[in-house]
Amino acid sequence: MGSRLTVARREIAGLRAEKTILLAIAIQLFIAAFSSFLVVGLVSMYDPGALDGAEIEVAAAGDAVEGLERAAAEVPGASVTRYEDPSAARAAFDRNAADAVAMATRDDGGGISVAVTAPDATVETTVIVVQLRNLLRAYERTERVERADSLTRSPLPLPDSTGTSPYFTFTYTVLIPVLVFLPVFISGSLVVDSITEEVDRGTLELLRVAPVTIGEIVDGKALAAVAIAPGQALLWLVLLELNGTPVANVPTILALMTALTTLVVGVAAAIAAAAPDRRAAQFLYSVAVLVLFGGATAVAGGPTNAVARLAIDSADPATTLTVVVYAALAAVAYLAVRRFITVNGIGT
Amino acid sequence: MIDRTSRRAREVTRRSRRVLRVARWEASRATGGVDRRTLLTALALLVVAGGVLGVGAATGAVGLDVDRDVYRVGVDPGSPYADAVEAEPALTAVPAEEATLGSTADLLVREVRADGGSEPVGVVVRAVDTRKGEAAAASFEEAVEAHNERLMAAEPNGTAAFPVTVTLRYVSRGSTLDDGEAFGGTSGTDDGGDGGGTDDTGSDGGDDGGGGSSDADTVDGSGSGDGGSDGDDGGGDVAGDGNADSGDSGGNTDDDGNDGWWPFGTDDGSGGLAVPSIGGGAFGADLTGSPGSITPPFPFASLVLAFAFLVPMNFLTQAYGSSVLDERTNRRGEPLLVTPLSPTEIVAGKTLPYVAVAVAVTSLIALVVGGGAISVLAVLPIAATFLGATFVGAVFARSFKELTFVTVAVSVLLTSYAFVPAIFTNVTPVALISPLTLVVFDLQNESVSVGEFLFATGPTAATAALCFGLGLGVYREEDLFTQKPVTRKFLDALAVRLSAVGDGVRESPPTGIAARIPGRVRGLVAVAFLAACTIPFVFVAELLAVAVLFALPVTVSIPVLLVVIAFVEEVAKSVHLYAGFERGVFARTDRVAVAVGLASGTGFFLAEKATAVVQAVGLTELYVGRAAFGSVAGLSDLPPPVLVGLFLAPLALHGVTASLSAVGASRDRTKYVLALAAATLLHAAYNFGVVSLHG
Repeated sequence: MGSRLTVARREIAGLRAEKTILLAIAIQLFIAAFSSFLVVGLVSMYDPGALDGAEIEVAAAGDAVEGLERAAAEVPGASVTRYEDPSAARAAFDRNAADAVAMATRDDGGGISVAVTAPDATVETTVIVVQLRNLLRAYERTERVERADSLTRSPLPLPDSTGTSPYFTFTYTVLIPVLVFLPVFISGSLVVDSITEEVDRGTLELLRVAPVTIGEIVDGKALAAVAIAPGQALLWLVLLELNGTPVANVPTILALMTALTTLVVGVAAAIAAAAPDRRAAQFLYSVAVLVLFGGATAVAGGPTNAVARLAIDSADPATTLTVVVYAALAAVAYLAVRRFITVNGIGT
Repeated sequence: MIDRTSRRAREVTRRSRRVLRVARWEASRATGGVDRRTLLTALALLVVAGGVLGVGAATGAVGLDVDRDVYRVGVDPGSPYADAVEAEPALTAVPAEEATLGSTADLLVREVRADGGSEPVGVVVRAVDTRKGEAAAASFEEAVEAHNERLMAAEPNGTAAFPVTVTLRYVSRGSTLDDGEAFGGTSGTDDGGDGGGTDDTGSDGGDDGGGGSSDADTVDGSGSGDGGSDGDDGGGDVAGDGNADSGDSGGNTDDDGNDGWWPFGTDDGSGGLAVPSIGGGAFGADLTGSPGSITPPFPFASLVLAFAFLVPMNFLTQAYGSSVLDERTNRRGEPLLVTPLSPTEIVAGKTLPYVAVAVAVTSLIALVVGGGAISVLAVLPIAATFLGATFVGAVFARSFKELTFVTVAVSVLLTSYAFVPAIFTNVTPVALISPLTLVVFDLQNESVSVGEFLFATGPTAATAALCFGLGLGVYREEDLFTQKPVTRKFLDALAVRLSAVGDGVRESPPTGIAARIPGRVRGLVAVAFLAACTIPFVFVAELLAVAVLFALPVTVSIPVLLVVIAFVEEVAKSVHLYAGFERGVFARTDRVAVAVGLASGTGFFLAEKATAVVQAVGLTELYVGRAAFGSVAGLSDLPPPVLVGLFLAPLALHGVTASLSAVGASRDRTKYVLALAAATLLHAAYNFGVVSLHG
């Protein structure tokens, strides 16, 4: 054990001397800060009403205009003004008195058709279209109720609307998994570098004449890489907690990410041992990680989703079981890799 | 004269031949590094992954729902609401009798039935009193809406299920499209609506390329070229297929998830990369369908495709960084340095193969996703910046490990710098700070003006050039093969570009353009030039600050922003002065300090004024933008003397603050930091004055 710890301590000392771990933390801080910008951007695109109550003014005409007016009374943020004929409504639009034009007409089939004109390519277009959609949906609902007799199954009544912050789901399903898994990738990359660098500089030969086995060298390097990962994740979870985002099941999340780090570090060590040229090794490692994580995220119950559910406190026994499975998988994979390296050596 | 020209031409030929020789050597070495076995292994990995995903997709076990089952809803399994919950990935149903609010469920749903009625007449929802409860309730509401849309789509009576048909059209105000045409389109729509509502509309999207059926007329008749944009983009490739599909999902009823907050999890996102539907539908094309099918103009698919251009960059920088650092381990690059090749030629040659790969890959991606020459041209500066930043990192780094951190940092920073502004493509002109916005424009078939193109690519290209310049400064024996900390190498790289100021300092013989400048001012000109060169970095840093602080309320963001901007500018103006004093290029006297401070401030001021293009693109319309670039906006209605004063005030400010930090820098590091802090505060106070003056 002692020699493993010595190797691990040497690795960590190297990292400390270069102070690059600070850079890694700076990157994560940047991601955290930038993500708020990102989400505000996305939300303002998709659900502008969620940010501030946008008010739009619709110029309406046509023989079914009362329905639109009734719908407007239900929808906050949209008001309808009736005009005598389409050209008057269009004129109001053209002189900026209205944000959009809606021509509602009854047709022969008993339906209602609404021709909507929205301004082209302006900053407000997205907001206007979203509010128009709300307005027209309300209209559709009332019209449906009137035609309920012709329907085999009537639509389910909607629950009362409640306000919510769109940032909430994003934080738990995207931001936290990203912050938790970034250290995992960095640790794996570090092991690839560490092993290929020893080979490249010829220092591995020196280590070999020391009284340590090749297995112990790999153990030590892996230990150092795995040891620095949970600390970074914990830092982020604590910061989020301080920032008013409660994170549940922190020990389980850390256990999961440590297991994944072990798995990734094992894969990285195997790749570095098999392809000791750094370029080839890093390339293979990137592809392997992409494949592993892409695949795992896409499959139900993948690590990303598991972290999200643990953090938001919606975990069930199956999630805990997933963590155990990952831990077992990591242990098996690491032992297999270690055996592979002991037998084949590094760089042969 | 002719003699000189021909000599120049010969020189250029000779140089380019040298560069090409290094490039050939680098290319052969790089392909040797990633040998056939590695490539085959990587390919095998990808094939296995593809197979697993394919099987998973076929069996339905695969889906990119990051939010799967995050909210637990207690609902009676017999209730119709259970179906709605079941269909929404983010919700998971818990049997009502086992559900306890707060511990095993976040939401309890109970339907209200009228006496003896089989259909529910209402619903009661109880949520936990937390933000999670609110989010769960909102998610449930969406699930019910989506469920209703699905129910209605299955109805035999289309008119009763979808009584309202909407034709959405985008026009510019005051355009001459007459209303009769719009009505013609409307009546056409109804014909489609009778036959079962939106499904017909969906198929319109697919048929448009052919444009023969009566349904297709519906869309075409009402205006501006839906078929045109579809046909253009489709082009018969894979995107063409996604095209028809997306027409469906746009018009179809089950894409209700799109009023959710996170687009990647919605049906829209998984419904295929719908460039033409969304891209073409953004502006200019008509959309017909039920109210639920209206999609706000958001270039989501174009964005995803634009992101595809960035992915290969990460692999490219890794290989490039390795190659540069490889030269430095075990002094491997030394033989090359002692050849008649100049460092510039070596670096150019080493970089050329990677640029070529970047061009090839970008063109290939452009071909696949349907981008044009503009996409390729816009991505090139990004690729150059990736390579430039990696080059600096690889020259500065002490080990592979350090390089890895640098590469990750470069990738994250540049990817977000390129990608995030592009999200705002259709919203604000600020999106144009990223060249990727041009790609999104290109994918949407929108035209790009020359000015826009230059504005978007200029700063990025300049940044790339400066990165290479910085790295080249230390591409010499004493820096390449030694283990100096990154900060010291950075100072070296800056000091190399300076010339001596003051007496009693070592002087190296001037070369190139510098030799033509009289010795007395040579040092000061170099200082000013270096300060001017920082402008692209300052610009990028300030925009990033604006972007990061954008989300905060204005009362907080403006003061923080003013201090951050002042700090960035002060560092930019003084860090090379510190390098000059530390490396002994400047004499450590107050006179010299003030002189180089004033020179640095002047250089910075001139470069800043030259970037008044900001105004042209309307960046100053943003309130936050005005705080950052305030000095160029809203001055037109002032009397000339005041105007001149205001124009020159920043010059005085930059000179004074730079001199202040220079005096600190001429002492030692602690004094420099203190002086820098003082200069930052002074600058921030000035900025605050300007902003409050402008209101």
